[in-house]
Amino acid sequence: MTIGSHITTFAGLPVAEYPADLGKASRAGSAWRLEDPDYDNTGQFLERLEALAAEDWANQVTALVIGNWGGAYDSAPPIGQLAATLPRFTRLRALFLGEITFDECEISWIQQADITPLLEALPKLEVLTVRGATDLSLKPVRHTGLREFTIESGGLPADVVRAVAECDLPALTHLELWLGTDNYGGDADVDDLAPILAGTRLPALTSLALRDAEIADLVAVALAGAPVVARLRKLDLSLGMLSDTGAAALLAGQPLTHLDKLDLHHHFIGAAVLERLTAELGEAGVILDVSEGSDADRDDRYIAVSE
Amino acid sequence: MRLTIVGNPGHRRVGLFAAAAVRAGLPEPDLLAWRDVLSGAPLRLAPGTAVRIESPGEDAEVDRLLRGAASPAAHGEIVGGRAWYAGLARGLARIADAARDHDARLLADPAEILTMFDKAACHARLLAAGIPVPPALPGSPSGWAQLRSWLDENGWRRVFVKPCHGSSASGVIALQLGSGGRILATTSVELSGGRLFNSLRVRHYRDERDVAAIVDRLAPDGLQVQRWLPKAGLDGRVVDLRVVTVGGEPSHVVVRGSRSPMTNLHLGGVRGDLCALRAAAGRHYAEGLATCRAVAACFPGSLHTGVDLMFAAGWRSHAVAEVNAFGDLLPGLLVDGRDTYDAEVAALLAGERAGAAA
Repeated sequence: MTIGSHITTFAGLPVAEYPADLGKASRAGSAWRLEDPDYDNTGQFLERLEALAAEDWANQVTALVIGNWGGAYDSAPPIGQLAATLPRFTRLRALFLGEITFDECEISWIQQADITPLLEALPKLEVLTVRGATDLSLKPVRHTGLREFTIESGGLPADVVRAVAECDLPALTHLELWLGTDNYGGDADVDDLAPILAGTRLPALTSLALRDAEIADLVAVALAGAPVVARLRKLDLSLGMLSDTGAAALLAGQPLTHLDKLDLHHHFIGAAVLERLTAELGEAGVILDVSEGSDADRDDRYIAVSE
Repeated sequence: MRLTIVGNPGHRRVGLFAAAAVRAGLPEPDLLAWRDVLSGAPLRLAPGTAVRIESPGEDAEVDRLLRGAASPAAHGEIVGGRAWYAGLARGLARIADAARDHDARLLADPAEILTMFDKAACHARLLAAGIPVPPALPGSPSGWAQLRSWLDENGWRRVFVKPCHGSSASGVIALQLGSGGRILATTSVELSGGRLFNSLRVRHYRDERDVAAIVDRLAPDGLQVQRWLPKAGLDGRVVDLRVVTVGGEPSHVVVRGSRSPMTNLHLGGVRGDLCALRAAAGRHYAEGLATCRAVAACFPGSLHTGVDLMFAAGWRSHAVAEVNAFGDLLPGLLVDGRDTYDAEVAALLAGERAGAAA
């Protein structure tokens, strides 16, 4: 799997493009998408951002989707200008930074930046999704508004994982990290996830997604005894290289029957262990997604999104 | 009406067109083998016949004759594009001569076929006609070093590098240059023992030396370098359209979706949902088809063209990636109960009736 198409909804709203869809889209009821249509860093992105912020209905906008800000493959998003401008959208609650398909820029090539200024400038932000992790960084922050935080990547650096883990996010209900592969900078190990798995700084967390992970088995082993799990309703280890090792650890560990959903799709779990998973969790009413399984040998296993 | 097909005997293109002719009540078309055209055998055509020229592809001996080579190429090997093109020109000239001698009529203008098989010439013709095409480098680079420096001069970081005379994604490279010297070439080319082969698998090259080796081997046969237009996506796949025009009008449309930059069906592309695409593309769909009509008008001597039409990400605009002289092989795709070949035969018969009435 690669990401081949743009999202059509975000934060529960249909995505509309600014300014192309002005005539037909609801101003308050759309997630407005902003991007440089020519991908060439000529300043069109910032012009559009300023134009949208200057609309007399900007204070009705609740969700923004930032697509390609220019040449995302060799230039970072203009975090300073975004942090300065976005507070003018006084009702902004949801932000997607880098909604870019592989045909626009491969996920592991998307040049990111230090996103801390965005969180600091937007204390009422509830949903933040970031795609791409090259040069992505974050300083540990306390943010009392954030409910859903997602970083999609082909390789998430350990220092970003540690920074997320050190953030104080008392309202966060959904945390999603695409750990990726070491080949693309995904060098985090399970120790880096320890504070997340302990859940101390995430008292409201009910949904944890550690996806697209080369180290999915190790993550599963750690989750089998992790304190945070008892509070979760959804657990997602999809898109990664989960095999019998990880799945058996999940079965042998603490009960998962309290979950509403366990998503393991795109996996390398063998038939016998799958059968046990289905029997134990299916019987308990847990929705189990084990689609897109493969019996590939160890050397041929791969995460779903990497390049 | 009598028809003659120039093609490779037994090839399905020949069979599919012949079947359509018979369905329309015409006699079984005569067949003139490309092998005979290229080997210098005497060419006989029934007087007054209408001559359909089919692809000479997928026949190792015909390929050898086209390239004027001593021995056939290894299976899948990419070799001799320029010589192949010269052979195609020679063969088409022989067919045209034979048609003149026998008072036969060609259903495709050889000069137009040659333009469509020269990506640089085709791009230039479309550009001159005001048809949206991706920007292209003005010349063919001599090799990797020159390509690299031209890209730097233009500030282009993402391009499609296409052999001038190739078809079906053969030798095509989707090339990306990133910060810090990063490079990624996505292609079906397999580099093996210093030779290039078409593979059915799209692969990635990340080492500049490999990319240089491939480009250096492709360059002598001519390259067309186009800026990469990020394509619109649908249901997780990037998509483009193959639009077959018949008699100047868009007739059959296939959505091709892919999880790689190549949408060719033999490289893992899948046929997509045209209704969903039309809904997503909005007014750009009709505008895109109007462009295909304008493309067909650039080739007035060709009964059909196969236009590869791309929509830009976000469905903002569209552009023509290339035009295929033998791009009508869409088996099983029926529009109003007719496949592309039925539509072509119907257009021929309608033309005949109009001619008779006039």
